[in-house]
Amino acid sequence: MNVLLKKFRDAVFSVIPITIIVLILNFTIVPLGTTPLIKFLIGAVLIIFGLFIFLIGVDIAIIPMGDMLGSTILETNSIWKIILICFLFGFSISVVEPVLHIVAGQIDYVTAGAISKSLIIISVSIGVGVLITLGVIRPMFNIPLRLCLTIIYSIIFILALIAPPEFISISFDAPGATTGVLTVPFISSLAIGLFSKRAGKESEEDSFGLVGITTSGAVIALLIMSIFVRNADLSHTINHYTSNNITSSSIAGSFLKLVPSIMLETLSALLPIVIIFLVFQVISFKLSKNSFLNIIKGFVHTFIGAVLFLTGANGGFMDVGVTIGGTLTSFENKIVVILFGFLLGAVAILAEPSVYVISKQIEEVTSGYIKGSLIISAFSIGVGFAVALSVIRTIVPGFKLWYYLLPGYALAVILSYFVPNLFVGIAFDSGGVATGLMAATFILAFAQGAAGVVEGSNALVDGFGTISIIALMPVLTLLIFGLIFKVKSSKGGTQKNEQ
Amino acid sequence: MNNNTKSYELIYVILNFGMGSRVYKYARELGIKRGMIILGKGTVKSPLLEFLGITDVRKEIILMVCESSKINEIVPKIVDTFHIDKPNKGILFTIPIKDFYDLQNNGKKYVSAEVKTNGGVKNTMYDAIFVVVDKGKAEFVVEAANEAGAKGGTIIHARGAGEYEIEKIFSMEIEPEKDIVLIIVKEELTEAVVNSIRDKLDIEKEGAGIIFVQEVDQAYGLI
Repeated sequence: MNVLLKKFRDAVFSVIPITIIVLILNFTIVPLGTTPLIKFLIGAVLIIFGLFIFLIGVDIAIIPMGDMLGSTILETNSIWKIILICFLFGFSISVVEPVLHIVAGQIDYVTAGAISKSLIIISVSIGVGVLITLGVIRPMFNIPLRLCLTIIYSIIFILALIAPPEFISISFDAPGATTGVLTVPFISSLAIGLFSKRAGKESEEDSFGLVGITTSGAVIALLIMSIFVRNADLSHTINHYTSNNITSSSIAGSFLKLVPSIMLETLSALLPIVIIFLVFQVISFKLSKNSFLNIIKGFVHTFIGAVLFLTGANGGFMDVGVTIGGTLTSFENKIVVILFGFLLGAVAILAEPSVYVISKQIEEVTSGYIKGSLIISAFSIGVGFAVALSVIRTIVPGFKLWYYLLPGYALAVILSYFVPNLFVGIAFDSGGVATGLMAATFILAFAQGAAGVVEGSNALVDGFGTISIIALMPVLTLLIFGLIFKVKSSKGGTQKNEQ
Repeated sequence: MNNNTKSYELIYVILNFGMGSRVYKYARELGIKRGMIILGKGTVKSPLLEFLGITDVRKEIILMVCESSKINEIVPKIVDTFHIDKPNKGILFTIPIKDFYDLQNNGKKYVSAEVKTNGGVKNTMYDAIFVVVDKGKAEFVVEAANEAGAKGGTIIHARGAGEYEIEKIFSMEIEPEKDIVLIIVKEELTEAVVNSIRDKLDIEKEGAGIIFVQEVDQAYGLI
C-alpha cells in the first residue's frame, strides 16, 4: 500500500471512534445543536489532517534529531558536559512550553499574585531540567529505574503532606503542563538515542522512563513552591483555559481566531528544538545537505500539523466536551454518566499524537516483541478508567483527589518491583504521554462540564485534578499488562523445561 | 539416522512493517518450525514522498528455516497468500543452508545437509554462521566463538519463536525477543566454532537456540 495512504488511514482511524461516539450522543441523549456539531466535525477533519502531517514531521525530524542528539551527548564522554547540556536542554524546552504558561497564569490568578507567573515557570523549568539530567545520568551509574522512582515518589508524598491541600491537585496536574505535543516525542527519542545503542541487556530497558522522571520534576517544583505560600488567599474562582474561546458567532471565524495564537505557541515550543538542532549541526552533526534539508522539512511538517490539530481540538472539541459533560451529569442515572465518561476517555486518547509516537518507538526498540496495538489499548483502557473515576469524583460529594492518588501511586511503585524493567519505564512514561493534547482539551472540558453542573463542587479543587488522574491510570494499566506478560512468559519457561 | 541427511534452506521474506507476524504465523501452519523477524528500513521512490522528506519506510525481514523437500510446496503458498508476486508487495528469496543445528528440540539433534556443489567444483572458503539465541545471550555466543578461533560476531536484534514458545496475551500472539549472532569464519574453522558455541549453550541450558551455517563465496575485511 502507498506509504502516504497508510499513514493517512491511521490518522483517520484514530479520530473516527470519538466522532462516532459524539454523533451517537448527539442523535440520542445529548443534542448539541447545529453550530457546535458542525464545529465539532470541522474540528475532527482538522485533527485528522493535523495528525497525519504532524506524525510525518515527527518521523523525519523530531525522532531522528532526538536520536542523534542522544548519541552525540554520550560521545562527549564528560559527565559535567552531559549534566550541563541536559539541564539547559530540559530547562529551555520547559520554559517555552505553552501549556505551562497557561497553567502558571491560572495559578497566578488563583493565588491573587502571591505566586507570580514567571516564578512558577522558572521553578518548574528548573525542576524539569534537574530531573531530566537525573534521568539521563541514572543508567550511567547503574541505578535501577524502580529505585529511582521510589525515591522520587517518596519525596513527592512527603512534600504533599506539607503542602496546602488546594495545591495538591494543581501540582499533580503538572505532568500535563510540561508534556506538550513536541516534548514527549523529543524526550523519548533522546532517551532512545542515549541508551538503545548501548551494548548489553539493559539498553532496551533504559530506553524508556525518561519522560516519567522528567514530568515528576514539575510536580516536585510546584509542591515546593506551594509550601512557601501556604497563607495565600485562594478565594478566587478559576477561569479555566478551556473557556477562553467559546463565544463566537461565525463558524469559520471561531477557528480562524485561534490560528494566530496557536501558531505563536507552536512556534515558541518548536524554536528551542530547532535552535539546538542548528547549533549541533554546526558543531557536531555535520549532516549532508540532503539530510539537513529533510530535517528542516520535517520541522515544517511538525509545525503545520501541530497548528492544524491544535486549532481543531481547541475550536471544535472543547465546547462539545463541556456540553456533553454538563448534559450527561444532569441525568438522574449516574451509571450512564460514568459509562459514557469511560467511553469518551477511551476513544479520545486514540487521537493523541504522542500515544502513536511512543507505541511506535516501543515496537522499534523491542523489534516488535511488544506490539504497538497492545500499548494503544492499554492507554485506551487506562484513560477510560481515569475519566470514569474523575466523573465519580465530581458526583460524589466530599470525594478527595487523595483517595485516588495516594493508593494509586503507592500501588504503581509497589507494582514496579514485580514487573519487567522494560514495562516500568514504559508505564511511568505513559503518564506524561496520556496528558497531552486530547486530555487538555476534550477530556478536561468534559470533566469541567460535569463538575460545573454538580452542586457543591469547587472549581478550584475539582476543576484541576482531572489531568492528574489521567496521568495516573495508564501507568497502572501498563504495569498490569507488564505483570500479565511476566506471568505468561514464566509459564512458558516451565512448559519448555517439562518437555 | 535419517534426519542427518535432510537438507534445509533459509527463506527470506521482506515485507512492509506489520506483516511479519502474519507471514510467520501462516508459515507455521504450513509446517515451518523455526523463524525470526528483524526490523529494517526500505527506501521509497516517489517524487511526492521525496518532496515531503519521506525517504524510507519500515520493513520487516522474516527469516525461516525450511526443509528443502517441503520448500516447493510452502514457498508458492506464501507468495500466493501475501501476493508477493505482484509489484511493490515485497520480496521473497531462498538461500541453501549447509548445516543446521536445532538446540531447542531436546537440545542436541544434529542435522546436516548435503552440500550442493554447482558444477562439481567447490571453491568456498568461508562460512557464515548464524546463531539464534534468547535475548541477552549473544555475548556468550561471541565469547564461545572467539575461543574457537573466530574473530568476533555481529549481533542483530530480532524476535521470533520456536514452536513451543508462542504465548498468547488477550488473543494476541507474543514472539519473544531474540539475538542473532552472525559470525564469518574460514571453512575449516566452522566445525570447531559451532561445537564451542553448542558446548557453551548447553552449559547455559536455557539459552538453547538454533545454529545454521551458510556458504560464503567471497569475504573481505576478515583478519
